[in-house]
Amino acid sequence: MTRNSLRVRLLFYLSISMIIVILSLGFILVNSLSLQNIAHHRFQEEHYFQEVQTFLVDLQDPLEKYLTDRSSSALARLLFLIEVIREKIPPDRPISSDETYLMKREIYFLIDAYVAQVNQIIELKRGRKVVEYIDSYREMTNLYTHISNEIDKVSLRGFRVQLGEYRSFLDLFRRIQIQNMLLVVVATAFAYSLLMQMVNNITRPMLQLSEMAGQLSNGRFEIPDVHFSSVDEVNLVAMAFNHMKNSIHHYINELQKQTEMEQQIMTERLRNLKMEQLLKRMELYTMQAQMNPHFLFNTLNTGVQLAIVEEADRTAEFMENLAALFRYNIRGKRFFVPLRHEIEGLKLYYAILQIRFPKTLMLVLDIDETLVDRFNCPAMILQPLVENSVLHAFKHIDKTGTIKVRVSLDQTVLVISVSDNGIGMPEDLVKSLLTPHTRDYQLGPKVMGLENVIQRCYFFYPNQKDVIDIQTAPGTGTEIVIRIHTEVEPCIEL
Amino acid sequence: MNKLFRLVTPLLGLVFLIFLFISLRTMISDPLMLSNQKATLDKKSSQYAFFLPASDNAFFSRLKAGAMEAARDMDCAVIFHTLTPESLSFEMASYSGANGIAVFSYEKNQRMVESLAKILKKGMPVVQIENEVVSSPNTVLIGTNSYDSGKSIAKIAMSSGKGDLQIALIYSDKNPALKADANLVEIGLKSTLGDKLAQLYTRTTTFNPIDAEGVIYELLRKVPDIDIIALTDSNDTLVTIQAIIDLNLVGQVQIIGFGDEESIRQYIEKGVVLGSIVRNPVEIGYRAVAALKEMNTNGNTSAFVDTGINIIVNTTNSR
Repeated sequence: MTRNSLRVRLLFYLSISMIIVILSLGFILVNSLSLQNIAHHRFQEEHYFQEVQTFLVDLQDPLEKYLTDRSSSALARLLFLIEVIREKIPPDRPISSDETYLMKREIYFLIDAYVAQVNQIIELKRGRKVVEYIDSYREMTNLYTHISNEIDKVSLRGFRVQLGEYRSFLDLFRRIQIQNMLLVVVATAFAYSLLMQMVNNITRPMLQLSEMAGQLSNGRFEIPDVHFSSVDEVNLVAMAFNHMKNSIHHYINELQKQTEMEQQIMTERLRNLKMEQLLKRMELYTMQAQMNPHFLFNTLNTGVQLAIVEEADRTAEFMENLAALFRYNIRGKRFFVPLRHEIEGLKLYYAILQIRFPKTLMLVLDIDETLVDRFNCPAMILQPLVENSVLHAFKHIDKTGTIKVRVSLDQTVLVISVSDNGIGMPEDLVKSLLTPHTRDYQLGPKVMGLENVIQRCYFFYPNQKDVIDIQTAPGTGTEIVIRIHTEVEPCIEL
Repeated sequence: MNKLFRLVTPLLGLVFLIFLFISLRTMISDPLMLSNQKATLDKKSSQYAFFLPASDNAFFSRLKAGAMEAARDMDCAVIFHTLTPESLSFEMASYSGANGIAVFSYEKNQRMVESLAKILKKGMPVVQIENEVVSSPNTVLIGTNSYDSGKSIAKIAMSSGKGDLQIALIYSDKNPALKADANLVEIGLKSTLGDKLAQLYTRTTTFNPIDAEGVIYELLRKVPDIDIIALTDSNDTLVTIQAIIDLNLVGQVQIIGFGDEESIRQYIEKGVVLGSIVRNPVEIGYRAVAALKEMNTNGNTSAFVDTGINIIVNTTNSR
């Protein structure tokens, strides 16, 4: 139990409040007793002298009795009263300038003289000195009368003084009563205020905590920590509350991060799925681009053997070249091949074309031989481009069609160009061909060879917009240029 | 709410302390509370009892003041008793524990003499003021010389410029000294005026404060040619002045007053009163205490102390 605990604080404040109230009441009691004491003191002297006077009166009877019949009981009573009166009179009588005191002092001396006179009378009576004791008795009677007069005078004087002070006493009494009442009211209010302050010190943090709990329930975890300077118990609750709030905030943050991460993973997965779908689509493109090569290859081999048996050499050569071309086309499913392989495939294809078009078609190869073994290129790009020119560029033209294939290196860019001197392409077709397919693009049942090449180039180099370009003009021919940045990796691993 | 408590609680505490302080101050500083505490007595070395006639006039008030002043100066206390024929105070004075007695005897009677004898028998110092009742080595007479008083009255009467003066001298029980020594006063008066005094009439007033009025009416009815009325008491002087004004005799009947009250001085300035003889009661009171103190200390002192007499006249109107 620490000094700041609720129990200690409660005990402390209650004690303080009680002490304040008790002190106030004690003070009022002291005031009342003081007032009572004043009232008592005012009449104390008068009461004292009245008492002395009573003894003096009492003394007369036994004295007279003794003087008349010499009664021993009267004498005993007389002597007793004399002693009582002597004890009543203060022996020490200093002189003062106060007139009332001087009057009282004179009364003491007069009583002394009276008592001495009584003693003298007793002695004279015993000595039977009649004349003397009669004189003494007269003197004593005068003294008694004078003492009584003086006592009356002092009492009257005292009463007059008291009467004069009575109004002052009433004023003082009234003032003290009012002040006492106000003191009690203020003391009670002060004690009540102290208690309420303590209660407020406890309830205020609780209210704040309940408000904060409400805010937390609304999801506002960023509210600052609460710190109270209240009792230990409340401070502990505040600490626990802060801890709870921060923990919940932390857990919720963690959950949010986890959710975000899962979302990212889901997005990645979706992307991968789409990529996979695209790859499959590419594969489909490739497969569509292929005929049933094996069947054709075997058939062609049979044809070659038949031509050799029948000694048709040109047919045999034609079919052999065709078979070689098919062999090239059904090679392993690799996306990129050395540039040499593409050139060799193109040459086989041209050998076949020469048999079909011995005089109307000419293929010109402008190839830097140093490049063909250094660089790779997407598989099956040259033969479709040349095939496109053969099929579309020379329609309705009587002159010899020339197709020029050029491979060069422009700094780090491998430039592959296929050009013809045909009829050219319409502009809207070029635009259509050079538009990259979106993910939602639906492939048609038959994909053109040129379109296949263009889309594959966009696929492998999505960030390189100039990977492929078509320059054409009606009647002047068409040139298709592929620019492969040798330092940029294609987006699919080989 | 919290701010309210933070403000109100110290405020109430402060108010509580203020009220407590006010209450305490009331309790401590109120004269009734203070007087309730046992007062420490200012102790004096001796106590002297003065027995004076039952008169409220200024003479005795000033005599008391002189005695009080002396008591303060000489570290002693004085108490005043009224000397009346009925009172036993003076008879019992020897039992009072006083260290000395001062008495202003209004008359020389047997009771007074016996009482003084009893006091002197006890060895108590006695001062007789103005009037010497008994003569003893243990007594001192303090006051003015009655013969000189008569001479002073005569001097003022001469200042009226009249001859063949018919003077009425009014004694009073209120000033028994001059009354007791009436012959000395008259000798002094006559010796000074000589032939200028045609006739001297004497009357006496009682303790009744307005008694003088009746005396004056009676006197003026019987002796209408009175030139000057001389009085021996200040109260009688004022009553006589009023009577002369009422009778429209101002200027015709001159007044020689007694005392130096402010009203008497004003009448002197207006010319209603010719002049006034003034004793010095403060001096008498002071000297009485001093004599008692000296007798207490040394055992003796001068047998007679003359405190002198003064005359007040209007210097502007004096002839």
